Amino acid sequence: MADIIFIGLSLGSILLLIALGLTIIYGAMGVINMAHGELAMIGAYTAVMAGIHLNLNLILAIPLAFLVTATLGWLIERLVIRRLYSRIMDTLLATWGIALLLQQMIRLSLGLAFFGITIEGMGTGLQSVTLPEAFSQVWRIGDFVLQPYRSFIILVTLGLAGITWLLLYRTAFGIQVRAIMRNPEMAAACGIDVRRVSSITFAYGSGLAGIAGLLLAGLKTVSPDMGASLVVDGFLVVVVGGVGSLVGTIVSAGLLGQINGVVAILSNDILARALVLGLVILVIMWRPGGLFNFKGR
Amino acid sequence: MNLSFHQRWELFAYAAFVVAILLLPLVADAFWLNRFAKYLVFGMLGIAVALSWGYAGILNLGQGLFFGVGAYMISMSLKLQSPTSQLPGAQTPIPDFMLWNAEPDAMKDLCCITDGSWLWIPFQYQGFGIAMAVLVPALIAFLIGYAIFRLRVSGVFISIITLALVLLVRLVIIEFQPVTNGFNGLTDLGWLTLGGVEFDPYLVSTYYIVAIGTILVLLLTRLLVAARAGLILQATRDDANRARYLGYNVAAYQVFFFTVSGLIAGIAGMLYVIASEFASPTFLDLAFSVSMVVWAAVGGRSSLLGACIGAILINTVQATASESEMLGEAWKAIVGLMFVLAVLYLPRGLAGLARDLLDRLREQVPTRRGALPTPQRSE
Repeated sequence: MADIIFIGLSLGSILLLIALGLTIIYGAMGVINMAHGELAMIGAYTAVMAGIHLNLNLILAIPLAFLVTATLGWLIERLVIRRLYSRIMDTLLATWGIALLLQQMIRLSLGLAFFGITIEGMGTGLQSVTLPEAFSQVWRIGDFVLQPYRSFIILVTLGLAGITWLLLYRTAFGIQVRAIMRNPEMAAACGIDVRRVSSITFAYGSGLAGIAGLLLAGLKTVSPDMGASLVVDGFLVVVVGGVGSLVGTIVSAGLLGQINGVVAILSNDILARALVLGLVILVIMWRPGGLFNFKGR
Repeated sequence: MNLSFHQRWELFAYAAFVVAILLLPLVADAFWLNRFAKYLVFGMLGIAVALSWGYAGILNLGQGLFFGVGAYMISMSLKLQSPTSQLPGAQTPIPDFMLWNAEPDAMKDLCCITDGSWLWIPFQYQGFGIAMAVLVPALIAFLIGYAIFRLRVSGVFISIITLALVLLVRLVIIEFQPVTNGFNGLTDLGWLTLGGVEFDPYLVSTYYIVAIGTILVLLLTRLLVAARAGLILQATRDDANRARYLGYNVAAYQVFFFTVSGLIAGIAGMLYVIASEFASPTFLDLAFSVSMVVWAAVGGRSSLLGACIGAILINTVQATASESEMLGEAWKAIVGLMFVLAVLYLPRGLAGLARDLLDRLREQVPTRRGALPTPQRSE
């Protein structure tokens, strides 16, 4: 049973990283970023490419994945989202378009496929990363099997959640972000550069997605369409936890990851998914604001 | 009739569209007619999305739920009519996949060959299948609508609930493999038979069933949104609280139009099966439901005809592009790009573009002729 909970915890961790980015972006800007899963996918591909072309292992590729996806997120905010703040529901559609574009970008090797050039590590097929040596052995503590890579995922997630908390609650920048979450007009009136803070927030959230994708690459095969289901799961976590609530997101990621993991092993995958979806629907019906929500205006 | 400039052009556009659809069999061969019948069905989905999104302001990301359920309902009837379901020595027709799944000594009868196979019994009558394909999606839509609008769930949360629901039902369909054939869906269907006439999907008459269905849905929906209820609906979209204070039962209107939208999607699912001869859980994929929204957005979310034409147009181009593999991949990228650009620069879609062009044309025509008086603005 401890093993199962442990596996659920590591899955919940990746879910949490996805959801953290989403909830910051949604909380601060009201943007439903449907391309979030694809940003994670890009993060996974960064790990693959870094392994092939730069000989970087998974751990060293983490900053790279963050940088690549954060830059991409920054560009997305600058070029598309920024023009849509006055009609916020449309961001859902525009980012869906971006998601398609990002997927095709990988499938077509950045478009070079038209000229017959393929980049190793991209294309339509499946990719995988090799884990560093240190992760391959298994530690046993009595009956309990500790898989080092899964513990690594949990540690990285804890670290990033901590950094995010510090960033939001212990820096001047965090105060600005939280002010925008509560009331963007009033924040702007107080002299906060809402646009600048928004693009940085978007970039940071995207970077978190990139790291989540990279961590996932160590567990599963990497493919261009791996992001599609991530964004749905991420959103379910955000909605259950309460938009813009760090604690809520952490609790609900743990909860949903755990339900998914435990039921999947005790019964089957499909039942686990169905249970999670049903639970989410009930939460929205019962508490539309999520389980942990501050009183917004 | 005293029609304004825009109303006259709108009437003209609807008339042109109807005539074009009805005359298509004169120029298209059987293969293209069958394809086009499917695109008309997608056009209906565009209408359903435009109704709930453009007119009611409800972004439903689970329209595929109603489409899929409608498709499965009629498929069950058509499957039982298929030659592949007729077993020598069996009391009732039995779908081939049930036979493959059944225990060797199971009784070869719909009542008990697999767990839950009794659900299929009434579907031996095609009329029942058709009725269910229309009623069940509408009923589901009503129940969902009733639950979410009574509780005043709003905005993006509706999108998330509908999204979760369509994925949930998709999982249920896949999970109940003995009844639904799981991932594989229902294939090898028989033909629709009405009054002893069989409707081969490649016949002109089958095209006309779909075409007339689409035209009826388009025109009736257009009349509905112009009726009092439709106007009140648009008021609830623009400001739900104000409509509430004016004494309107906002939830009732939202539930009603949500149900109509589900009903249209269900009918579309039924017609799609008649033209394509299969039903599959892919109908309930998230990507399909979002595609419908894309069609409506490109065509014009607040124009029923625009959304319908948008769906037909995109699918026609898509089918042509995906004939070569490279173009097909490129097409997906183009769709993505087109979508971003449409949202950024054409928020009212092609219909909005057409309207703007008309307005510009109108400004120029009188000045050129000089003598004509400017038409009265009646909006």
